[in-house]
Amino acid sequence: MILDLHTHSIKSDDGRAKVQNYCQWIRAREIPIDGFVLTEHRQYDATSDYSSLASEFGLCILKGSEVETEYGHVLVFGVTDALLATFDFSDIRLPLQRVVEACAAHGAIPVPCHPGRKRVGMQAHVGEFGVPEGVRIVEIYNGGSRAREDEIAQTMADDLGYLGIGGSDAHIVSHIGRCATRFPATISNTPELVEALRAEDFEALTFKT
Amino acid sequence: MTINRISDVEFGEELPVFTPDTSLDNVRRFATAAGWAGPRFTDHEAARAEGLPGALVPGIMSQGFLAAMIHRWAPEAQIKNVDTVFRAPVIVDQPYTISGVVTDIDEEAGNVEIDLTVNNEAGETRVFGTATVRISNPSS
Repeated sequence: MILDLHTHSIKSDDGRAKVQNYCQWIRAREIPIDGFVLTEHRQYDATSDYSSLASEFGLCILKGSEVETEYGHVLVFGVTDALLATFDFSDIRLPLQRVVEACAAHGAIPVPCHPGRKRVGMQAHVGEFGVPEGVRIVEIYNGGSRAREDEIAQTMADDLGYLGIGGSDAHIVSHIGRCATRFPATISNTPELVEALRAEDFEALTFKT
Repeated sequence: MTINRISDVEFGEELPVFTPDTSLDNVRRFATAAGWAGPRFTDHEAARAEGLPGALVPGIMSQGFLAAMIHRWAPEAQIKNVDTVFRAPVIVDQPYTISGVVTDIDEEAGNVEIDLTVNNEAGETRVFGTATVRISNPSS
């Protein structure tokens, strides 16, 4: 099963894509993914219900978040009410260690994203803050990466022994599915996604041309 | 092929790729006409002295290129908005391609949404965004 683990809809301040149009696009263009995770910036969208779209288009649509730390941006998979109560998702200066510890306590998975990017990527801050504890997975393929950003991310992952995922970081409809992650098992809900990530059996994919 | 009625628009349709003229002469003319001819737009050395990689194509000029591309495709379209996110600077004298693709059609309202992307030669997205355009059917 292939999921795009990093997407934004109009719920994000810089997102311009409606979820329905993502679904239409995936099917019309035969994008080789089975679903996607909406990781809205600095929030968890607890209210939107995409189950009817998921059913209509035969796609898995899950929700996570993208929070901001001193190490850059971090995807969070497995957000629960309990996790939401532990830190302010809208805070743009979250300590990564606090996010990592909160995720560990509440069964969620933190994944630093576009780690090769200046300012908002983890690699740019390792020199200043050191290698963070508790990170197991980073995003090594990001659909919005420029120049050598993915290469930097892969080198960092290799050097530090991290596993890698892929996500498009789509903000507009036509960018979905440019990168993704393949899992051996079928995933149909967030707990199954978290379990699959925890099993550490997945492969980052890029479809960028 | 140009589009004159919304019933001719298809979901996923790609607009003809547009190659904008980002030469220093053209940017200077635009910046001067727009009353925005600061050295960061008109002089590579002055821009580099500001820490920029070179003279910049003004954002409003990039938006103008996007609008021009839409009107080459649909000359009678009414552009309701062009909503852009600038991810990286567009540098003068460097080649770019602008792509557009239809991502939503509301025939009843006459509205079409278009994804817009400005890519450099390396295929990196410098600017992305969406446009909403109104394309009526002749009888409406």
